[in-house]
Amino acid sequence: MEETISNLILGFSTAFTPTNLFYALAGCLIGTMVGVLPGVGPLAGISILLPTTFGLNATSAIILLAGIYYGAMYGGSTTSILMRIPGEAASVITCMDGYAMAQKGRAGPALAIAAIGSYIAGTLSVLGLMFLAPPLARFALGFGPPEYFSLLLCGLIVLSYMTGGSIVKNLAMIVLGLLFGMIGIDQMTGYFRFAYGLVELGDGIGIVPVAVGLFGISEILATAGQSEKREVLKPKLRDLLPSKEEFRASLFPIGRGTLLGFLIGIIPGSAHIISTFVSYAIERKLSKHPERFGHGAIEGVAGPESANNAASEGALVPMLALGVPTGPIPAVLLAALMVHGINPGPLFIKEQPAIFWGLIASMYLGNLVLLLLNLPLVGLFVNFLRVPYRILYPTILMFCIVGVYAVNSSVVDVGIMTIMGVIGYLLRKMDFETAPIVLGVVLAPILEFSFRQALAMSSGDYRVFIERPISLAFLMLALTMILLALRSLIGKKKDWRDRLTEAERKI
Amino acid sequence: MKMNRKGHVVWGLAILALCLGMGGEEKSWADEPCPTRSIQIIVPFPPGGVADLVARPFAAALEPILKQPVVVVNKAGAGGTIGIQSAAVSKPDGYTLLLALSSVTYLHEVDRLFDRPPAYTTDRFIPLAMLTGDPLVIAVHQESPWKTVDDFMADARKRPNKIKLGSAGIYSVMHLGAELFFRKAGLQLSHVPYTGGGPSLNALLGKHIDCAAFGPNVIIGQMKAGTVRPLVVLGSKRLDSMPEVPTAKEKGVDAEFYIWSGLFALKGTPEGAIKVLRSAVQEAVGKPSGSPNS
Repeated sequence: MEETISNLILGFSTAFTPTNLFYALAGCLIGTMVGVLPGVGPLAGISILLPTTFGLNATSAIILLAGIYYGAMYGGSTTSILMRIPGEAASVITCMDGYAMAQKGRAGPALAIAAIGSYIAGTLSVLGLMFLAPPLARFALGFGPPEYFSLLLCGLIVLSYMTGGSIVKNLAMIVLGLLFGMIGIDQMTGYFRFAYGLVELGDGIGIVPVAVGLFGISEILATAGQSEKREVLKPKLRDLLPSKEEFRASLFPIGRGTLLGFLIGIIPGSAHIISTFVSYAIERKLSKHPERFGHGAIEGVAGPESANNAASEGALVPMLALGVPTGPIPAVLLAALMVHGINPGPLFIKEQPAIFWGLIASMYLGNLVLLLLNLPLVGLFVNFLRVPYRILYPTILMFCIVGVYAVNSSVVDVGIMTIMGVIGYLLRKMDFETAPIVLGVVLAPILEFSFRQALAMSSGDYRVFIERPISLAFLMLALTMILLALRSLIGKKKDWRDRLTEAERKI
Repeated sequence: MKMNRKGHVVWGLAILALCLGMGGEEKSWADEPCPTRSIQIIVPFPPGGVADLVARPFAAALEPILKQPVVVVNKAGAGGTIGIQSAAVSKPDGYTLLLALSSVTYLHEVDRLFDRPPAYTTDRFIPLAMLTGDPLVIAVHQESPWKTVDDFMADARKRPNKIKLGSAGIYSVMHLGAELFFRKAGLQLSHVPYTGGGPSLNALLGKHIDCAAFGPNVIIGQMKAGTVRPLVVLGSKRLDSMPEVPTAKEKGVDAEFYIWSGLFALKGTPEGAIKVLRSAVQEAVGKPSGSPNS
């Protein structure tokens, strides 16, 4: 403990130098912008700015780049809430209740709770990073392909059990997403599947064009079909912040989202996106009024937005403690260190205490800065809603196209976005929820690949999934979920989902 | 008023189109000593990948020398094939360059395995410079029973298809390099692909795979911390950073495999432009901050 405190003092003395303070601020600011722009995600932002950090010292460089990373998680919710366009893939789920809140005139509270939730999650996760990095990182290494497959399978079953509404419709959407996810090169053999001669489809359908298309474009199409009847209100300051009840309702979702996001973030290869879906499903299941979800429940914003922030910091655990990149973004952060002649590895924290603790301290600061930056911006952003549609929507459309194109300089991606927009529009007209499609697209390649990797490891022996303890635990959990779902079929007792459907009918 | 606003938009678009059009205006290097507009370097891998991390600092170093913007364009997909293909069909004017990894030399052969027409042919490219180049190093977990490459080979010979080789993906440099060594040594391992170098290092540390071939700077930190043990270097001589690790040739296996990154122009690019580019590249990598590996 004493050692930690002396280390923290070292960290804060590093972070509080004017230069490092400036770079933490700059990183957070850039991150927010990167998060707000649809399409352009933190990965692109960090990579493009990487060369500018070569002139800095290693500490400033990593403080700047990490700032962009977690800053983007703050910004991502903005467009989701205001325009139903995920600013970044981890904010897909926020579109559902965040946008519904905005339509009810509660955009301010939604944006504010996203920022506050992110702040709490971010700060708590830094604590986790500080105290638990080495043991947690070793736990994360235990996750090989069999564990990963079982985790995802379990996740899918939990999600489909907990997601409300018509279970048939939800399952259909997940399966549609899984089908989309099958497109592309088979990573085990190199065979092109469902690509119809288009080399660009080789790596499959990207998440960004799917998410922006299904949400953003379909929203623009849907709005075009309605007459513009919006009440243009100058929101009062009081209406910009969450009410007492809303705060109270958000408290536990933020806590659960933080814990969940941090743990999921640590697992190598895991996406922030998954943590937001799981958080949403859990909040809905635990809520006394699950029928409010999808119609502007603040818990549906608070939980997932906290989760994605915590996950972004959880992902730094294996990187800092072991020197292993768990995803593309930590890989770039590692590269930024390597440029300065620092070889990342398990000895990093011991050999470079100033960098590690400086980064930790800068993250406490950065999260505070982001909160202070984002809360006043709420008032500004809410005013965007007062811009007439005929000006606002063409502009958004342009940003969507530019953003999606910029990720990979690919016209095919823009085409995918357009097609997804039309599909999303049609599905909405038929009352399908489109978020499960995104989940399917995200999960399909990982699910299939980890399944086949596991079998390659065991030379085709299926026992590999039950011989390994972590994997077995997840499979047991999945089985329990299925049995729970069956119980309500056999017994006469009404399942919570039936009650939900009834309640929704009343609305 | 309404008309007016629409008019603005139309004008704006027209001006934008004009600007874009002008950017594309042709001017050859044949009679000009220096480039007159921005140069783009196509990187056939995603942002943050090995090639991207070479390209971005390199482009930044090249700009002041050529006195024109040098833009890195990521065109990732299909293990690099998509970006290479898009470079192969662009104009040979010296304004579009390709920064590829060693896989550029064989990726088009993969198409042949599936009876597809090759996505590109290597004779479309003129090499300008090799920017980085390191031999692959085959490494195992520190706690593995194999202390030397001899132990490893003896065990692999006894148990064909039982030892798990990890890689960054099928037909990746890590995959082909390792397979070359094992084939030359007459060994058969079972291959477990991952989705990149990082994930496969993860898998090795978590003991989900038994061995993998890495670029030396990827594992040097792990080696110093005593978590992975390099067994053999697929280079012509031993590496300074791990002098105790033998080369494949010393062990009687005639295998050499390098992970390199190189800059290419297109066939048909004017001689003058090639000359200017080559000397600019030389100057750029000569600078101390020129490349992460310098």
